[in-house]
Amino acid sequence: MAEPVSASAPLAFAGNRFGGGSALARTLATPGGRIGARFGLVAILLLTWQFAPAGRATQFWLSSPSLIAGTLWQWIADGTLWVHLGATLQVMSEGYVAGCAAGISIGILLGLFPRVHRVLSPFLTGFYALPKIALAPLFIILLGVGDASKIALVAITVFFLVLTNTIDGVRDVDRDIIQSLTLMGATRMEVIRKVLLWAALPWIFMGMRIAVRYAFTNTLLAELIGANRGLGFLIEYHSGNFDITGAYAAIVVLVLCSVLMTELLTRLETRVSRWRH
Amino acid sequence: MDRMTRAAAQAQRSAPAETKIRLVGAAKTFRVRGSELEALRPVDLEVGREEFVALVGPSGCGKSTILNLVAGLMAPSAGRVLYDGQEVTGPNRRVGYLTQKDTLLPWRATADNIRIALELKCRATPRAEASERVAEMMDLVGLKGFEHHYPAELSGGMRKRAALARTLIYEPETLLMDEPFGALDAQLKLLMLDQLQRLTQHRRMTVIFVTHDLGEAITLADRIVVISARPGRIRAIHDVRLERPRDVFKVRFTEGFARQHERLWDELKDDIAKGTDV
Amino acid sequence: MIDRREPAQARDSVVVWQLALGVALLAAWEALGRSGGERWVSEPSLIAVKIWTWLGGSLYVHLWATVAELVVGFVIGTSLGILAGMIVGRSPGLATILRPIIVGLYSVPLVSLAPLFIMFLGWGLLPKIVLVAIVTFFLLFFNTFTGAERIDRDLVESMEIMGANRREIFRKVVAPAISVWIVGGMKIAVPYALVATVTGELLATRAGLGYLLSQATEQFDMTSIYAVLLILMVIGLLLSEAAARIERRVLRWRHAAE
Repeated sequence: MAEPVSASAPLAFAGNRFGGGSALARTLATPGGRIGARFGLVAILLLTWQFAPAGRATQFWLSSPSLIAGTLWQWIADGTLWVHLGATLQVMSEGYVAGCAAGISIGILLGLFPRVHRVLSPFLTGFYALPKIALAPLFIILLGVGDASKIALVAITVFFLVLTNTIDGVRDVDRDIIQSLTLMGATRMEVIRKVLLWAALPWIFMGMRIAVRYAFTNTLLAELIGANRGLGFLIEYHSGNFDITGAYAAIVVLVLCSVLMTELLTRLETRVSRWRH
Repeated sequence: MDRMTRAAAQAQRSAPAETKIRLVGAAKTFRVRGSELEALRPVDLEVGREEFVALVGPSGCGKSTILNLVAGLMAPSAGRVLYDGQEVTGPNRRVGYLTQKDTLLPWRATADNIRIALELKCRATPRAEASERVAEMMDLVGLKGFEHHYPAELSGGMRKRAALARTLIYEPETLLMDEPFGALDAQLKLLMLDQLQRLTQHRRMTVIFVTHDLGEAITLADRIVVISARPGRIRAIHDVRLERPRDVFKVRFTEGFARQHERLWDELKDDIAKGTDV
Repeated sequence: MIDRREPAQARDSVVVWQLALGVALLAAWEALGRSGGERWVSEPSLIAVKIWTWLGGSLYVHLWATVAELVVGFVIGTSLGILAGMIVGRSPGLATILRPIIVGLYSVPLVSLAPLFIMFLGWGLLPKIVLVAIVTFFLLFFNTFTGAERIDRDLVESMEIMGANRREIFRKVVAPAISVWIVGGMKIAVPYALVATVTGELLATRAGLGYLLSQATEQFDMTSIYAVLLILMVIGLLLSEAAARIERRVLRWRHAAE
């Protein structure tokens, strides 16, 4: 239910059904007008930020867009940005792949053996309710401060998500289809291979899609708690040193990264669903 | 009437009628939302080898339940279901079952759907031969040209025909059909009835055919079992005394047909008035 | 329709298996701990003792801190989020201009901004409350906004023709339609709020379950770590159960229609 709406939904308000509408509405009715309005808004905010008169204390806490831009430029130039961004992406992808692989395979198994699933269900619910970030200290003790503990955290988070969706997918299969194939003489393996896996695929994909966001979030959180590399580390490090500009710069990178990732994911999804239909 | 059908008709008349399927006091009760629903009162029915039996009756009278029992998808709450003299204890792989709801695989194209029975290990068929048979079947049911269409792109009637092709392609010895031609228009229906008669006679299939269309039943069946509604029970069994082989297109205009129809209609109309839509 | 086996028997055997599995796992854990691994895995018996001791007194301060942060932040964030969502959602101009910005911001994991708030607001309860409030705000804002936008114009117009005034339309059409989205948002927000609270506490705090957790980590006190995890699990379960119950009550009409 909390899926982002497309940024270009039709305008139902530019004039009500009897015509008319304000000047603002008319401006916004054109795509150029809309983009202009947004840029205008952002520009006003930035300019106010940069040039608003403020005392020394406020200046300290607020920093300014120019300083932030400067820091970012330096990071790009001397490579810091790529090192940390790369570290985050690497941990995120390794944890994601591990979690998906485990989640899908065990999910299929539990889907095929509903009684085992029913027995395990309360234990799974319990683990699901635990905020995974709380496991971070435990993993750091068990696996050290390096990548392993972070990858483990991401993997476990992704695992539970993908597991739930995979199980639902396997169980959602139309029983009548299975019956028809059984009557035709299909063995259990053949039913699994030719029906169950295919029917569960949309659910599995949905789980994998949702899991990307959680993988990203938990990688960052793990880096906040205990790391020496990565985007989360950047935020924590600069905040800890009261380096406001640095902290803001790191956040800008975070925002850009998040938006880019979501956009890529949405496009990938549209392409995949087009192929399926 | 071609030679093939005439020969088959002759053979049927001279062969002794062994019992293929037998229901002995078979009954079925369902538990629905806490209360019990008696779908089928104890029923005794014998279907001979290569016989074509039609089950007719209003909606919801247990016709599909009988098919499910014979297919082994359900166990009887009372009584026994015997196939070839042996009790049915699980999915009965010797029957082909064409259900009311088509169970085509949505992710496979139509040709691949029809092929699936031949892909299974229990009757693995070399690809070339399978493709040939699929093409033949699709032509038979009039779906030529739709090989690469997905079920979602076909109309209801076309999906039914695809399901029929999928069931017939592996030539099961017994055929269970649950209102297979309901969604088709009148002309297509007659064509399909004709094809069905040829195929089942030629391949010597035993058929149980559920329908609420009396005309269909009289056209194809050797015997018609009239089933009463809620709870389901056999009301009467009529022999169809029309000569075989029958011309599907013309038989409905014969006097014998009309008499049979009248007799059956009298039996059914009270039930139909009583029974409401499920 | 296929037969199903008698449900009562099946249910009993499942419970038996669950108990057996639970006991087996606890026993194995205990054995592992006693055989020398207790530095890494601790033992259920020790954990139980630790929790029991805590329940005797010292747990409540921390429990209270965490719950307070969570609840206060959640309430503030929810109310502001709903308010803002309604305002922007019902004003088509604002909605259009802001939509891509909102969608863009939505993709950012706000919980990772925790260090920023700690830097601004220190080590007390306040930064966590703000963090929870912001995370909750965005979720509720987005959901309310989407719900408000999608109100069926036909429904509104038919009420207008009947003579309903703006307040009546709001009460009878807008509010129920939006409540679906709001409750949905709250359900998603609850676990996020817990994550935000715990994250904030792990980073910098003087009290709270996160405090217990980081203390235990520094001292390599595995028993306490597991104990806190268990408590957090219970809290998580209670919260999601509470959210589910609220949803059932508020959306009674919806479930009835299904």
